[in-house]
Amino acid sequence: MENDIAVKVSKLSRHFGSFVAVDEISFEVKKGEIFGFLGANGAGKTTAIKMLCGLLKPTSGEAYVAGFNIKTESSNIKKHTGYMSQKFSLYEDLKVKENIEFYGGIYGLSRKEILNKTKLLLSELHLENMQNSLTKTLPMGWKQRLALSTALLHDPPVIFLDEPTGGVDPVSRRNFWRIIYKIANLGKTIFVTTHYMDEAEYCKRLSIMHKGKIIEIGTPADLKSKYNKSSIQDVFVELADRD
Amino acid sequence: MRQILYLVQKEFRQIFRDKAMLRIIFIVPLIQILVLGNAITTDVKNIKIVIQDQDKTPYSRELILQFVHCKYFKTIGFEDNYTNLSDCLASGKANLAIVIPKHFQRHIVLNKKPDVQILVDGVDGNYAGVALGYATDILQKYQERLISSTPYLGFYAKNIHRVEKAPMFWYNPNLESKPYIVPGLIAILLLIITMFLTSMGIVREKEIGTLEQLMVTPIRSYQLVLGKVIPFSILGIVVINIAMGFIYLIFGIAVKGSLLFMVFESLIFIISTLGLGIFISTISETQQQALFMAWFTMICFILLSGFFFPIANMPYVIQKITLLNPLRYFIIILREIYLKGTSIKDLIPETLSLVAFGACLFIAAIIRFRKKIG
Ligand SMILES: Nc1ncnc2c1ncn2[C@@H]1O[C@H](COP(=O)(O)OP(=O)(O)OP(=O)(O)O)[C@@H](O)[C@H]1O
Ligand SMILES: [Mg+2]
Repeated sequence: MENDIAVKVSKLSRHFGSFVAVDEISFEVKKGEIFGFLGANGAGKTTAIKMLCGLLKPTSGEAYVAGFNIKTESSNIKKHTGYMSQKFSLYEDLKVKENIEFYGGIYGLSRKEILNKTKLLLSELHLENMQNSLTKTLPMGWKQRLALSTALLHDPPVIFLDEPTGGVDPVSRRNFWRIIYKIANLGKTIFVTTHYMDEAEYCKRLSIMHKGKIIEIGTPADLKSKYNKSSIQDVFVELADRD
Repeated sequence: MRQILYLVQKEFRQIFRDKAMLRIIFIVPLIQILVLGNAITTDVKNIKIVIQDQDKTPYSRELILQFVHCKYFKTIGFEDNYTNLSDCLASGKANLAIVIPKHFQRHIVLNKKPDVQILVDGVDGNYAGVALGYATDILQKYQERLISSTPYLGFYAKNIHRVEKAPMFWYNPNLESKPYIVPGLIAILLLIITMFLTSMGIVREKEIGTLEQLMVTPIRSYQLVLGKVIPFSILGIVVINIAMGFIYLIFGIAVKGSLLFMVFESLIFIISTLGLGIFISTISETQQQALFMAWFTMICFILLSGFFFPIANMPYVIQKITLLNPLRYFIIILREIYLKGTSIKDLIPETLSLVAFGACLFIAAIIRFRKKIG
């Protein structure tokens, strides 16, 4: 397997009973790339991500993440990926720093590492003043930054973000994307799903999913010129209308 | 190992931050002990009696006095009409009716057989039996007095060799039901805290999505389970010790046996209940479902445990089914330790049964948990 490939998926499918949620998708993501997954509700984005980070078993097909087979090396997958789920899922009744401490401990960091990381993350995310607040009292945008930071605690090379900016105001979304760029500049691979078309433009490469299938893949510029549109929004609408 | 400690720490932080939960955990047991300890009583006291004296002679009156002065009976009235008498029983105004027929005195004096009729409301069979026992006791004593004071009975007849019974009930001399009920209450408390809180705690994490977040970490499912189970075990043991304190303060009933041994047996018992809790969490998607399942399990366990109804009174098949109930063994063990101070060597079969159930239930639960979630 080539060294600069972070995620390699071939003919990956997932069925729920007779329903096909993900239908033989294939693609590759390069190291350090910000790879976007675009698709309407129910297109199968979350299902695909869950298979890639070891939460769901695929029905058929193959996939490698950070060089590990998702079917047979799930414990390595878990060590080398970060996952931020679509639904905010940190402990609302723990304090901000308690959440960081907890996930640090779960990822097997030492006390000292946890302390250092906590300090670093709190300052990077501008959460120092909130560290002793209960997590449920944070505004949504901050919660999501916290969720991202806990997903990064163990320094994973590949990070899956499932609609990280859902329900967040435009300013917070912009800030969030600044952080994503910063992380990508550190050489980490970011795999992100989104509903927001403006965010799609921030991605280095995009795949558009529809009813479980990937119907288009390429850089935003390529896609726009291919369909002769001025924005990804228009490309997306054009593709959706064909159906 | 460190991962488990972090899980335990997290769980305790959550428990102590949730004031409503704390209230449930610490105040509900107190209320349960107060209410159930006083309400569930199988003591038969204040048996309401109604008397019909058709004879109205010194002898019949003397017999009536025995009933009136007996502390177990409460005479609610005298009734000359037989229909009214049976109405008293039917309406529940009286539990027991005594009918002294005409010629009662005459039969005694003439050395014939005097009769007394006793009617008992038999709806609650247990109660009726005990009430009838007290009544026959009074009649027997009365008869003995008659014999010894009858002038024309010969010396031999008076001193005839009668076997007198003077029963002594050990361990619970007054046959009170509280000492009998209380150990059962502790067992149920432990069942509730460990089974309910474990199942609901896991399902709650499923609902809010934190379980999924944990599943993407390298944590193993056994660590996850232990991280859930250890805090609730500690909590359970602490709560029953507090409960025993309450029981001593309120009812004056203290543990006869070793407290350490009791904690040891409790730990063995909760392996089963924790296993059930985990199992319930694997078949429930919502906390309501988990609550319902836990509730259902608890009711079955209690009814088949001998807590309310003696197992010996159950139909044969049901008696056999109770052998599959860990709570049954634990209540036996607790009663033995609480009331008699029995030591481990007399409780080996029960303890081994608990170990066996615990091992099976817990292992099955973990396997299912790994399949469903891992
Ligand atoms: N556990 C499941 N059992 C049955 N069907 C499921 C399950 N999970 C997802 N699905 C179905 O699979 C399809 C794809 O779901 P998925 O969550 O992957 O979509 P999505 O692209 O993430 O949508 P959204 O934008 O709403 O998050 C949906 O129709 C959903 O109902
Ligand atoms: Mg989704």
